[in-house]
Order: sequence, then structure tokens, then C-alpha cells
Amino acid sequence: MINITDKKKYILYKYTPIFLLYTSILNEIDFNLEFKYFSFNFAYILIFYYSLKREDSVGYLSIFIAGLFNDVINGLPMGISSLTYLLLCTAAAYLRNITLRPNIIKDWIFFLITILILNFITYSYLIIFFNYEINYLDQAINITGTFLLYLLFSYIFRFYENSILGKSN
Amino acid sequence: MDPSREDFVIAIRSAFLRKGNKQKFSLLSLILFSIILLILGNFNFKIIDFNRAIIKEIIYISSFITSIPENSAKNTFYKISDHFNHYDEYQISKSKLKELANKDLEKTIITFENIELKKLINDYFVEDQRTYAKVLIDKESPFLRSIVINKGSKNGVKIGMAVYDEIYLVGKVVEVNFITSRVLLISDINSRVPITIQPINLEGIMSGFDKNSGQLQYLNQDDAIDYDKKKLIVVSSGIGGVFKSGIPIGEIDIQNKKNSKKLIVDFYRNFSQLKYVKISSHKKENINIDQSNKKTFKENNIKIKEINSQAEDIKVLRQQAIISDRVQYKLQSENTILRENLIIEKNKVKIMNKKKDILIVEENRIKFLELDSLYSRKCKKNFFQPKLFKVGTKEYKACILSKAVIKKN
Repeated sequence: MINITDKKKYILYKYTPIFLLYTSILNEIDFNLEFKYFSFNFAYILIFYYSLKREDSVGYLSIFIAGLFNDVINGLPMGISSLTYLLLCTAAAYLRNITLRPNIIKDWIFFLITILILNFITYSYLIIFFNYEINYLDQAINITGTFLLYLLFSYIFRFYENSILGKSN
Repeated sequence: MDPSREDFVIAIRSAFLRKGNKQKFSLLSLILFSIILLILGNFNFKIIDFNRAIIKEIIYISSFITSIPENSAKNTFYKISDHFNHYDEYQISKSKLKELANKDLEKTIITFENIELKKLINDYFVEDQRTYAKVLIDKESPFLRSIVINKGSKNGVKIGMAVYDEIYLVGKVVEVNFITSRVLLISDINSRVPITIQPINLEGIMSGFDKNSGQLQYLNQDDAIDYDKKKLIVVSSGIGGVFKSGIPIGEIDIQNKKNSKKLIVDFYRNFSQLKYVKISSHKKENINIDQSNKKTFKENNIKIKEINSQAEDIKVLRQQAIISDRVQYKLQSENTILRENLIIEKNKVKIMNKKKDILIVEENRIKFLELDSLYSRKCKKNFFQPKLFKVGTKEYKACILSKAVIKKN
């Protein structure tokens, strides 16, 4: 039987990823910091990590809506971020299905390949259908930052889970 | 089927179709829905536009509400840092104020002159609509640099209106909802602003480059770089009619950019610090004449014609005056030349007279010497003729010149 404290902890653990996802999208803390040569996409890291490690923690519908929110706030064509996020979830689900022994480095490399493909799809769509001009240097910085920080954030998320639920859970 | 390929297909199918315990939709269905949304986004159906506008309004407002804690924290931080910098800024402001007070009057006069001149060339714009708006969201996306403001079609905001921070250009409205609008910043790579570089009058197009800078295109970079001043001012040129001419945008630091291949404009304003903006549209000044004003207008026209004819007369008289002035000037100059010639001639005559006098003196001397050689014996005082005259005296000279004929007193 689960006692009340455990239930609270579980609720906290359950809703933290959704809270973080929506905060990062809706809030002005956008992780495209004031540095000229540094930015990263926090949503990508969060979605990939939780889709890979905790399948049910962030619902696909929530991710889809978060994508819509992101498009509206950033002024992108509606649906493009949702599609990207969902494809990221697909990649994570595929990796989860084929993985027998999880390894953080393999996840990391797979994440890089995935975000490269997803960004390629996004840029192609924006350029071909919407005549967007894209600053490739900024995008390269963003992808590199996202890739590098995945490792750090995956450790932070795991540490958070362990501290909330305990290592046994 | 090859077993490895079969595994791949199973894994992919599972990833797409399998729903988790608590998932209400499969990934495939949501992906398809996203694609449908994207396709519908390309068509401008009224229902879709309406729904899209509602969704946007809700999201903008919710984003603004969720940003309140962060914004208040940010504002507190700025307030504290302002407080610490207060004294230094006060000193700088004080010295600048003195400088600006002197320039203010000069600027007012130039502004009036500028308005008059623009009216003459039919390029004077008056503000058609003006609205002030609060910045709801200034989240920077890697794809688009834009802000969302709390004024929409309800407040008369239209697509294409120019957006200012005080007098400086910020961007233009690219999307209008009922109570919110999106402004594309001039720092965005997709923005295009026709500009003029002052004071060298070089025209070009500026697109966004960096968070606080833009890049110039379609102009000869050497013309700007060759300029000897340290900084060049970039203002809107007004070409295309989206922005009126003369809106300050930024400046080019020529000294630092000489080695750079790109001409970079540093914006006057930091777009990440925008709180309130001014949205306005402009139109050419038109004077509307109604029936009651027509008489006055005709009278004014007659007066203008009279003044014009008088002006013509004055013009002719002025031309005549100019011609007579020229003639007078010519005569005066000729007179001066003649006077100068006369003085030269007079001097020549003087010199000739002097020479003549010298010649006469010389002639007399020669004559005296000739006579002296002949009559010296008859006039010169010596031991045997003591009554004669001593050499060199006036009497001796008179004796010689009279050829030794001595007058007896």
C-alpha cells in the first residue's frame, strides 16, 4: 500500500516533466541565452529523455499541444514543432524497442542523429514552403549545444528521479 | 523476409502504433494530425484562420501569465542594477544634458526646414494612426526574431504598420489577431528594410544579422569604407512605402569594420529589453478643401498669382541690377587699370626728366672742360697774373664760360 507521502512524491515526479516542458515553452526563459555563440533546445532534450526512459511520464497528446504552443509563440507555421517533437518521440520509442542493454553514450549518439534529421526536415520545410531564411551558424550552435547538454541533463533528470523516488524505484 | 529487416519493421511499427498504458493517442495519429495542420496552414480558409487566431490569442495570454514571475524577477534585477549604477549614470546624463540643450534649438530649426523641404518635394508624411502597446512575449526563437504585443485588429493595428521604440525603428507588424499582434524585428534575417547611409547618401537594403545588429546588402561597400568619418548613421530610406524616410536605425563603426567583408549596422536599441512600443502608420499630407474654404482658396490663389507676377518683376529687376552691377564692375576695373597705367607713365616721365637734367649737367660740365682747356691760362691766377681767379671759384668758372672775357665792374 502506498502511503500519502509516497503518493505526493509520485505526483511530483509524474508532473515535473510536463511542468518543465510547458514552462520552457511558454515562459520567456527560452534557453537561447544572451550569449552570442551559445543556445540549446531544452524541449528536445526533455522529450527525448522522458520518451526513452519514462514512456508514460509525458503523454504524446501533451507533447503535441506543447508543439503547437511553441509554434504559436515562436511564430512558426502551426504543426511544425508538434511534428518534430512527435518524430523525436518515435525515434526514442524505436531506440527503446531495439535496446536490450541501455547505454547512455549510445543514447547520446542516437539523439545527435535524430536531432540532425529532425532539424533537416524542419529547415527543408521552412525553406521550401515558407521561404524562410535561416542563419545556419545559429542553427549549428543550437544543435551542438543541445547535443552536448543532453548528457548533463540526463544525469540531472536521473538524479532528480533518484532523489524523489529513491534508487530502488 | 530477412530477420534483421523484420526486427526493424516490428520496432518501427511498435514505435508508431503502440500506445502506452496511459497514452490516449498513438504517435502515428498525432503525426498525421500535425501534417494535416501544416497542410491546412498553407490555405487561407476563414474557419481555419479564425480558429488559428483564437488558439494564438489563448496561447499568447497564457504565455504572458506564465512569464509574470520571471518578468518580475528580471525587472527586480534590472532595478537593483540600475540603483547601483545610478550615480555614474547621473554624472553622464548631466554632461549630456548640457550638450543636448545646445543642440536642441539647432535641431528644431533643422526639423522645420526639413519639413518645408519635404513638403516641396511632396514627401512629407503625417502620422495616420498611432497606438502604444505592451510587449507580451519577446521570446527569441532560433528561426524567427519577433515579439508579441497586446494590441490587435480591435485597436486598429494592421499588417505592415511600423513599430518604434521611442523614435527608433523596431520592426513591422506581420501578424494581426483580435487583441494581439506579432512584430517581426529588424534583427531577424527575414526582415528587409530599405535604408540610407548618412551623410554619404548611399542606398541599400538591411536584413537582420545578429541579436543587436543588421547586415547591409546591395551596396558598394568600398564607398562606405572609404569615408573618412568614424561612424556612419543608418536611417530608413522610405523606398517601398512600408517605412517613412529618416527613421533612425543604427550606426556603422567604419574604423572597426574596415577589415570585415560585411557592413554591419549596430542598432541603437537593444530589442531584448523592449517593454512598450509605438505602432504607427503614415500617409502623405493631403489638404482637404470643402465648399466653405473654396472662396478663400481662390483668393489665396489670386494672391499667390499676384505675388508670383511681382516675384517675376522682381526677378527681372534683379537680373537688370545684376547686369548693371556687372557693367559698373567692368568699368571700375577698366578705370583702375587706366589709373595704374597713368601712374606708371608719370613715373616714366619723372625718370626721363631726371635723366634729362643729368644730361644737361653733364653737357655743361663737358662744355666747361672744353673751354677750360682753351681758356684756363687766361683765367687762372698765377704769379705773373695775380688779378685773375683761383681755380674752382665761381669767378674762375664764369671767366671760363665767358671765354676769358672779363667783365669789369
